[in-house]
Amino acid sequence: MEIVRKVNNKFLKIKNKNKKEKIDIVVNLFFLISTIISASFIIIIIVFISVKGIIPFITDNNGIGSVNIFKFLTGDVWLSGTAFKSNLYSVGFIIVNTLYIALLSLLLSLPVGVLTALFIAKVAPKKIAEFLRTVIELLASIPSIVYGLFGSGVILVFVYNFADILGIQSKGGNSVMATVMVLALMTLPTITAISEVSIRSVGKDIEHGSLALGATKTQTNFKVILSSAKSGIFASAILGIGRALGEATAVSLVAGNAKSGPTLAFFETTSTLTSTMLEGLKETTGIDYDIRFSVGIVLMVVILLTNIILNYIKKKVGNVDVK
Amino acid sequence: MSNKRKVIDYTYQIITYLAAFVAVGTLSLIFMFVFSNGYKLLNIGLIVNDYHATFYNGALEENIEFSTTTRPTSLDSETYYSKKWGLGLKDDFDREGNSIIIVDYIASDSPLLAMYNKNNEEFTELIVFKEGQLVSKIAYFDKSTSLTRTGAEIMIYDLDSSESVREIVYSSLGGGIRGSIITTFYLIAITIAIALPIGIFTAIYLNEFAHKNRITTILRSLIEVLTGVPSIIFGLMGLAVFVPLTIKLTQADSANIISGSLTLAVILLPVIIRATEESLKVVPDTLRESSLALGANKTQTTFKVVLPSAIPGILTATLLAIGRVIGESAALIFAIGTAVKDDISIFGKSTSLSVHIWSMMKDEPANIELASTIAIIILMIVLLLNITIKLISKRFIRELG
Repeated sequence: MEIVRKVNNKFLKIKNKNKKEKIDIVVNLFFLISTIISASFIIIIIVFISVKGIIPFITDNNGIGSVNIFKFLTGDVWLSGTAFKSNLYSVGFIIVNTLYIALLSLLLSLPVGVLTALFIAKVAPKKIAEFLRTVIELLASIPSIVYGLFGSGVILVFVYNFADILGIQSKGGNSVMATVMVLALMTLPTITAISEVSIRSVGKDIEHGSLALGATKTQTNFKVILSSAKSGIFASAILGIGRALGEATAVSLVAGNAKSGPTLAFFETTSTLTSTMLEGLKETTGIDYDIRFSVGIVLMVVILLTNIILNYIKKKVGNVDVK
Repeated sequence: MSNKRKVIDYTYQIITYLAAFVAVGTLSLIFMFVFSNGYKLLNIGLIVNDYHATFYNGALEENIEFSTTTRPTSLDSETYYSKKWGLGLKDDFDREGNSIIIVDYIASDSPLLAMYNKNNEEFTELIVFKEGQLVSKIAYFDKSTSLTRTGAEIMIYDLDSSESVREIVYSSLGGGIRGSIITTFYLIAITIAIALPIGIFTAIYLNEFAHKNRITTILRSLIEVLTGVPSIIFGLMGLAVFVPLTIKLTQADSANIISGSLTLAVILLPVIIRATEESLKVVPDTLRESSLALGANKTQTTFKVVLPSAIPGILTATLLAIGRVIGESAALIFAIGTAVKDDISIFGKSTSLSVHIWSMMKDEPANIELASTIAIIILMIVLLLNITIKLISKRFIRELG
């Protein structure tokens, strides 16, 4: 009864309001609905992908047999089902590949990106800095498929010839190294742009303090400013690794799509979670179709866990707060 | 400063110079690669042509009226001309680099204009034979067939010395990207039409109407999370949600442009919301307060005072959205498929320009030339959008002082 009276009271309140206020309430409601729609998509994504992705584990997949979830998460072979009548799908080695590649690409792009950011923010003359900022913006706006095209047209050839010089046969250049290079190029603009902002926002007093103590400009840049901007740089690394983990089309053009692994050697073919999802697109039903959603779940979990872990480390490391 | 210190400082400085050079080097390498591979195919024909070649089998009626047109002076010296048939042929290469024989000129009184379709049982349907098509085979009653590999000169010689032909096989020049361009335009239009209103309304709600409470915080963070989701996951969602939905509600029977647009709209929502909110935030509160003090209600204030000042921001958001639609590939591979089509229907499969590149590169052997040409077009559009966004934001900053 209490609730009914409350609702009644509210209606009476609305009734007593004038026309303008009523419009406000309607418009407010309308905007609220838009907002709820926008916010609901992440829930839709999680629910639908989970529901679809769980099918291979709980049904017998038209006689092939259900996929063992433990083997799925830890195994080292990916055998496409319908062709081989197998349920031997494992992403264990692919998870290792994905993390390995993302980490290596970060090892390449983080130093280069941070140094570029330092150059733009502190070293370069104003005009050159402005030019470089435009270059970084352009690099960031190039679609990933163009990076993929560049990768398979230039980087694959380079890796193939490089391996040849070392006396190693690589499968047309499709390899860990090519994938790492493409991803490093793609994450470079993200890392540079965000690091640059954090480097620029380091307080002048810290900089002047260091200079006044007799440190040279370069010493100040490298020892004081970079370590003050630590948390921003770390944030850029987190974003960069997120992009590297989720990148799909460019990777699928240079990875070579290995069916077993994990691949740690630089010139061997490899596969990532995303490139695996892009295989076998012709299927529209059956296990080869459903398993993509299972890989999607794994990808989301991997990205989420990586983010949580890195953010935890960032909290521990980045104790110098920069405004 | 000691000498040793100087040396170390210089080395460090040089390292930063080198690092910065990597970015510049990469950008110029990408542009150089794309242009050097793609410029050859870049012409109007590529943009207006179909991707799939259509083949025709033409044959002639019994009594042939030969042409009397002499060789026009405007013809290229490399074109071989048969006066009797009113036909000029030329050797050329197609978009995959194979040698072809192309129809360079047909006289208006050429008997070949009256060919009927041999595949049609009733022999009544006339078929179009026009300049720009490829002749792949001419068969005769009384002598051996001339094929593409014999070259235009011998083909014309054979044709000129015979009184009738049994069959002419010809086709349109394929490999064009008209279909993908149209699809891309459809995608841009439908996606923006869906995402822009929802995004702007959400931004207005979050910035103008929402109370500062826990529910608002949750709604905001749910939208924030969307930014970190990789596009291939959006593609999976499109495949699981929007494709079945559009099949049920429309006449579509597979992945289609509408399901692709809906997927892209979800990807764009956080981009549009953020850009619009940024521009709403810079509208000074005094404007809102004055409007309210003058007796306007919240709705009037929002639509008549706040939104007009936020228009440059919304425009920027739209341009960013267009750039994202043009560049998106992973999500679209799932949400509308990878089959390159010429007849575009919004209820059917087709490819955007980016997915067209992916299809070309996944082919065996990969068609790098055509892929690069499409990449040139994409890069040009992205460049243009970037410049426009910069100009808008510059003006915006100046106006706000």
